[in-house]
Amino acid sequence: MRDKWKGAGKVTQQEIIESLLQFINQETSTEEEFNEHALMLFAYQYENNLPYRTYCMQKGKTARTVKTWRDIPAVPINAFKELTLSCVSPEQAERVFMTSGTTRGVRGKHYHPTLSVYDHSMIVNFRKRFMKERDKIKMGILFPTEEHMPNSSLAHYLALAVNVFGTEDSHYLVDRDGLNMDRLLAELEQAEQSGEPYALLGASFSFVHVFEELAKRGKTFRLPEGSRILDTGGFKNQSREMDLDEFYDTLSAYLGVPRRECINMYGMTELSTQFYDDGNETVPSVKSGPHWIRTRVIHPLTGEEMPKGKRGVLVHCDLGNFNSVTTILTEDMGVETDGGFLLLGRVQGAEAKGCSMAVEEFIRAAKGTSE
Amino acid sequence: MREYAGYIPHIGDEPIETRVLTFEKNGERVEVEVPLLTVEQLNKVIEKVKQASAQFLKSLSVTEIINLLDRVMEQLLDRRHPYRQKAEQVLPIVTGYDEEMVRLGLTSYFKTFRKPQLQRFLVEDLENPLLLDDFQPRPKGGLSKAVGPDVIVHVWAGNVPALPLWSLISGLLVKSGNIGKVSSAEPLFAGWFARLLVEVEPKLADCLAVVWWKGGDVERERAVFGQADVVVGYGSNASLEEMQRRLPVTTRFLPFGHKLSFGIVSRSCLDARKAWHVAHQAAFDIVRYDQQGCYSPHLFYVQTGGIVSPKEFARYVAHELNCFAKRFPRRPLSLEEMAAQASWRQREELDVLVNKEKEVLGNEAGDWTVVYEPERREFAASCLNRVVKIVAFDDISQIISEIAPYRAFLQTVGVAASPKELFEWAEWLGKAGATRVTALGHMTSPEAGWHHDGRFNLRDLVQMVDIESAAEAYAEQFAPYVD
Repeated sequence: MRDKWKGAGKVTQQEIIESLLQFINQETSTEEEFNEHALMLFAYQYENNLPYRTYCMQKGKTARTVKTWRDIPAVPINAFKELTLSCVSPEQAERVFMTSGTTRGVRGKHYHPTLSVYDHSMIVNFRKRFMKERDKIKMGILFPTEEHMPNSSLAHYLALAVNVFGTEDSHYLVDRDGLNMDRLLAELEQAEQSGEPYALLGASFSFVHVFEELAKRGKTFRLPEGSRILDTGGFKNQSREMDLDEFYDTLSAYLGVPRRECINMYGMTELSTQFYDDGNETVPSVKSGPHWIRTRVIHPLTGEEMPKGKRGVLVHCDLGNFNSVTTILTEDMGVETDGGFLLLGRVQGAEAKGCSMAVEEFIRAAKGTSE
Repeated sequence: MREYAGYIPHIGDEPIETRVLTFEKNGERVEVEVPLLTVEQLNKVIEKVKQASAQFLKSLSVTEIINLLDRVMEQLLDRRHPYRQKAEQVLPIVTGYDEEMVRLGLTSYFKTFRKPQLQRFLVEDLENPLLLDDFQPRPKGGLSKAVGPDVIVHVWAGNVPALPLWSLISGLLVKSGNIGKVSSAEPLFAGWFARLLVEVEPKLADCLAVVWWKGGDVERERAVFGQADVVVGYGSNASLEEMQRRLPVTTRFLPFGHKLSFGIVSRSCLDARKAWHVAHQAAFDIVRYDQQGCYSPHLFYVQTGGIVSPKEFARYVAHELNCFAKRFPRRPLSLEEMAAQASWRQREELDVLVNKEKEVLGNEAGDWTVVYEPERREFAASCLNRVVKIVAFDDISQIISEIAPYRAFLQTVGVAASPKELFEWAEWLGKAGATRVTALGHMTSPEAGWHHDGRFNLRDLVQMVDIESAAEAYAEQFAPYVD
């Protein structure tokens, strides 16, 4: 197939999209097939995105020296803040997803000329990993709507979930004023009585708020069999940090959904494809993605791949990222396992070892002086 | 290999609980057993130290104390001495630093505590060291004596080898009972020093203790701080604040927070002959303890207009760091430290795509990183472990305005400049908050009697007792020999 691309000269965006949609529809793919697509996308992105090409050249990589998907220079997620990573002019983007604010207030931007690939990737994968045997399920969404947060990839993801897989009577349970607890209680009671499976989806920290409210009211539920939970994002830097075990125990205790039916989705604004686990009976759970995304665990300084079982930093090669860059270097630590990887949390700033000031402390001090 | 940290005076036969801290470097492993005393045991220790130091240590003259310390240093400087050999063998594993670097560091450090240096240290702080022994006449009239506290508690931090010596020796010179809490990052040296001191003078056996608890242990800290006259604390501002909250208001607290240091290179040093040498010294200050010390440089300001440009100078420093990487390899970093470093470097590399004048230099293994910046808009900390920025400047006033917001954090400035510039710049830097100006190559070895963070090491520990001239004159009236 690689020859096909070569023969065709420069590929167009349309050709790329069509080929990807087909590829996603395949049941699985071989290393070779994955490689072909990854290299085709690399050549396209190298050709059409000047900042990315400059970055590759800085790394000493060109279309000629990149032989497999593993050679594709990984772009640190910070680059989405500093550079315009798009093969088409940003004005032509149907949608721009942005990362949430950071210390410096600069948000990373991910340009999508069309959402067709993102949506197809999400739908095929979500059906397999979350819906499993069901076509539709009644959903409650613990997150604002897409209209409220047009630049949030998670809002779009959840909108897709509810539009494609939610029954007619599914609802958003977060509005402008935050969590609508009365609505949620009514939904949970109704689900409990109806005996129909119910799915609650949202940001991890929203679930923590739900726990707090339920605790205040002294309420617990036993959702019907087949009910499930999807949480995402973790809860670092929120009012209350929880240990994973405690989180899923509490989830299970308040809502009566066994931990194996509590699915965690790991996604990023900078990607177009998500990872899931098969429930959280034990944590950390093994995360895996569909056949169009591959993950490497690398040594943070040398960039070399870590042997299986050794901790490192995660690099994802997502073929769904046809317009930005396929390969991104995350700030997440992980370890490769059978059938996927364990997510070990975000790389935290290292504490000072000696008596010289550490960067994190300096940033706090700098904030203190500017306030 | 198993080592025992701490030093506890005899407080009865009740067993003392211990914890084991494990250190590993390049396949070599050391288990360090640290004593974890109960609050009750700590109380006994404090009581014992208080009494013994009141009886024995306070009866010694300051010269006698100096002589004892000098004998300890003589042994520590002797490379055949078992404690010295232990230090050379074990500290590199515990702290991770290169063996040769630790060895050289220890020697230059111990040299600052020999007799003449300690004498200088005393004169520097007290002018007349006899003030510690007896009432001395004062120019204002009357007499004064410097009285050390009964008990000083030291909370040490960090992994710079043997760092606790500064405050512990200061505490001994003012004849106080000393309780030191070692850090988990380097729990050994203070205990060895205590044992060696007691070997030299067995009567000091109950005058000091070296203990351990996990930093932030509310129960133990409250109990111990409550009985101290002075608490000397090292650590981040956050942990110092925590400590302060546990102190009675009457207890004096001497906090030493994390600091920021940097270097300045004048254009007068930047000719083809001198620049290499200056770059070598700058690199040495970076390499020594991998920038972990409060006196270690985060960045170097290099003046434009010399024969060697700041950008070229950055390459010189890079070259020197590359050479040092072979001679004194950096300590092995944790995955977290590596990731922090990688992300720091990635950010700089991305910035190069936007600021073309900028340059990021480093080797494949990531042993060191030099970033050249043509101009700076804001002062920034390095992620350390041999990562440094070289920033061009034209006039000292630019530097002063950039560092101004950080005055509370500034410490050492390593200066390479002509005598005229040195004094002119020192004036500016002092106003901006820096407390130590030194030569490049000396940033990490402060001289004996330095004013740590601009303070007096001994004077801050003691309290003065005055006999006013009125009392003296008044007493005369009641003398048996009065006419």
